[in-house]
Amino acid sequence: MKHEKVDVYGQIANNKRLSFLLAILIVLGIGALGYVFGYTYHPDLAFTIFIIAIIFAMLSSIIGYYYSDKIVLKAVNAKKAHPVNHKKALDLLEGLCIGAGMKMPRLYIIKSPEINAFATGRDYEHAVIGLTEGAVEKLDKLELEGVLAHELSHIKNYDIRFMTLVSVLVGTAVIISELLLRNFFWRGRSSSDRDSKGAGIIVIIGLILAIITPILMKLIQLAISRKREYLADASAALITRYPDGLADALEMIKTENKGRMKISKATMHLFISNPLKKLGADSLFSTHPPINKRIRKLRSM
Amino acid sequence: MLTSLESMIEWIIGLTIVGVLVLVGIAIYYWNSIVILGNRISNSWSQIDVQLKRRTDLVPNLIETVKGYMKHEKNAIKMVTQSRERMMKAGNIGAKVKAGNELTSALKTIFAIAENYPNLKANENFKALQDELAAIENKIAYARQFYNDSVLRYNNMITTIPGKFFAGGRKTKIYLEIEAAERAVPKVRFPEA
Repeated sequence: MKHEKVDVYGQIANNKRLSFLLAILIVLGIGALGYVFGYTYHPDLAFTIFIIAIIFAMLSSIIGYYYSDKIVLKAVNAKKAHPVNHKKALDLLEGLCIGAGMKMPRLYIIKSPEINAFATGRDYEHAVIGLTEGAVEKLDKLELEGVLAHELSHIKNYDIRFMTLVSVLVGTAVIISELLLRNFFWRGRSSSDRDSKGAGIIVIIGLILAIITPILMKLIQLAISRKREYLADASAALITRYPDGLADALEMIKTENKGRMKISKATMHLFISNPLKKLGADSLFSTHPPINKRIRKLRSM
Repeated sequence: MLTSLESMIEWIIGLTIVGVLVLVGIAIYYWNSIVILGNRISNSWSQIDVQLKRRTDLVPNLIETVKGYMKHEKNAIKMVTQSRERMMKAGNIGAKVKAGNELTSALKTIFAIAENYPNLKANENFKALQDELAAIENKIAYARQFYNDSVLRYNNMITTIPGKFFAGGRKTKIYLEIEAAERAVPKVRFPEA
């Protein structure tokens, strides 16, 4: 019993370290891009564009940050849980919140027969958990507790805030590299008057960086997203003290879901399991870790 | 020679002041942490208390509903009313927990007996009460878990170094005992509808 608990705590700490490391990698990537950009572009104009790009990225993410809960609830067409019809789910959520010592988030229900759930909101006060009707109907008490605890963990670990930050950084990087590529294109046309043997190498390096960095960063973002899923699974086990509940629920998701929820693609990373894809085909480009691996990890806790 | 000695003294004084400030800062941090963790325990007890009280309030309704159907189960009903009375009289945490456990098992007996009374089981009022009591029971279990987690963090804080030095002789708090079977084998938890 004692051994199990240590394992869960260890996994949480491990995931936190990894996420931090990945975030630093992204920042370093942006720094490198910015450097190349400043080097190749006309110094006076470059800086202004650079600043504008960053302000633009920040602004759009701040809006996303403050309105994330409302935007998401609209995008997935979720309705507030009914105090009588969804009493069972509300009671379970209240119990879990007592167990985790946190404020109860609002519960929303999505009209869909698929089993799925999501969490959103920037902090405890604005936190929202969404459940599909399929999850409420098909899962038993212990499975539903596992799923709710997983979503509660995303809130508790401030995953939504963290992922917003990461997507700002990635967004900024993408904008910078876009500008960089345009710059190369533009210069390539008008540089015939300049002697550019030495500059040619830098241009090539810059070009490669501009193409590779956004892809690399997107991959890092997805890797963080997957790490966060493992972390939420481990935290959920810590709240319910019964990892098999969530494992059983994931098992159900694997067999029952067809990946046909009618929701916007932009929200898919929020869900406990990819709402748009039949499970199985997992790759570097997945927002979620392979479900079988998650089940194995939970079973071994 | 003289100036270097003077500067050395200045250095020592400076370092001493910085050291004292750091120590005071650490002391304030640990003192506050201990107080906050201690408060969290009392707060988590009130979480349990709220749920216990809600359950105690529901018991008369349950007895009223059950009485008509279970005429021959006077003992089981008496057990529930008696443990409810003890529950209401209990003053301190220990007595409340004990009475609470008694009420839990008395209610379990009632719901087990109810299995033999199809008419009672079909009663809407009874079903609603059973659901509500099961939900409360679940919340009590989680409230206890959080209480014990809070006690664990508090005890760790005041028994490990350096927290120990700032605890001012505070004693470790006692955990609530949870019936081993209750959490370990969730399938046999409180009956559900």
